[in-house]
Amino acid sequence: MTDTQWPVFEVFHQQARGEPHVHVGSIHAPDAETALVLAKEQFGRRQACVNLWVVPIGAISATSYEDADIFQHGSDKSYREAYGYETTKRARSIGDTQEI
Amino acid sequence: MNPAPTASPNAALSAEQSAALVDLLFRLADDELVIGHRASEWTGLGPIIEADIALSSMAQDEIGHAQAYYRLLHDLGRPDPDTLAFLRGPEEFRCASLAALPRGDWAFSITRQFLYDAAESVRLEALADCSYRPLAELARKVAGEEKYHLLHGRTWVTKLGRGTDESRSRMQAAVDAAFPHALGLFEPTKHDRTIAAMGLQPPELALRDRWADVVEPVLAEAGLSAPAGVEPVYGGRAGRHPPELAELLEAMQKVYRIDPAAKW
Repeated sequence: MTDTQWPVFEVFHQQARGEPHVHVGSIHAPDAETALVLAKEQFGRRQACVNLWVVPIGAISATSYEDADIFQHGSDKSYREAYGYETTKRARSIGDTQEI
Repeated sequence: MNPAPTASPNAALSAEQSAALVDLLFRLADDELVIGHRASEWTGLGPIIEADIALSSMAQDEIGHAQAYYRLLHDLGRPDPDTLAFLRGPEEFRCASLAALPRGDWAFSITRQFLYDAAESVRLEALADCSYRPLAELARKVAGEEKYHLLHGRTWVTKLGRGTDESRSRMQAAVDAAFPHALGLFEPTKHDRTIAAMGLQPPELALRDRWADVVEPVLAEAGLSAPAGVEPVYGGRAGRHPPELAELLEAMQKVYRIDPAAKW
């Protein structure tokens, strides 16, 4: 079915300065400026927020789910996970949210 | 001798000063409650869901601000916020006619809200430094929400003003209809001089000049024109309202009045 509404913008939300922008959803809007105004109430009203990004969906390039197997490992590559490092262990024991 | 309603801040005020402060607070509160109710009439009916949610959320902001102003009145010895909102008749309200006018089309609601939010922004800027500390603190606290409201209004007004022939003509009709009532937000009152002398805010007509400086560039950017030489619609600050206010209050107060003692 054709989408007859306004273009779609993907919305990214940042909880505090320095934190990553996290994808929280999408909205319809005629342009980026209006998208920011509308996204503020959609996604900024329930949780802490210091910054929003909106990105026209057409600007995003993505891999295909059909190719999801490219992410599978053909052999044990756990050495890439870096859990041998002391800092990683401490981080895991404290939890991801707390600063070390 | 009557005990003072609350300990301090108003203790030093004369009767005239106290009456002026109370009148100002009723104007602030009633504008917010009534325009907030009008904005809430779009809930579920907005042109798209995103716009519906944004305006509904703003309606909650305005009603929340009204409640905060009513609390300041309660601290000055007036009844509690629910009683002030739900048990007063129209003649006791001090809102400007702009807030009370019916919802109209989206262009009218957006234009009304923009003209109102621009007025609120200049008023809050003045009140943020006012001599009555509880009001100054409240003005600073709500400034962020009001900044968003103005951004929201400016965005919609410029987009619709520069949109299609239909959106432009609807917007110009809305500006023409709302403008005389918007000027009425700055209806001078007998308390103006006392309010200025107390260091609360400048006289209404001085605020109106600041408001024009906010509104006119946005209308120009939108390709819309403010009607020249129109007479302001006054009366709201003295309790004389268009009949639509009584209709609005009847709808808004109906359930509460069924059983004012009910616990919610």
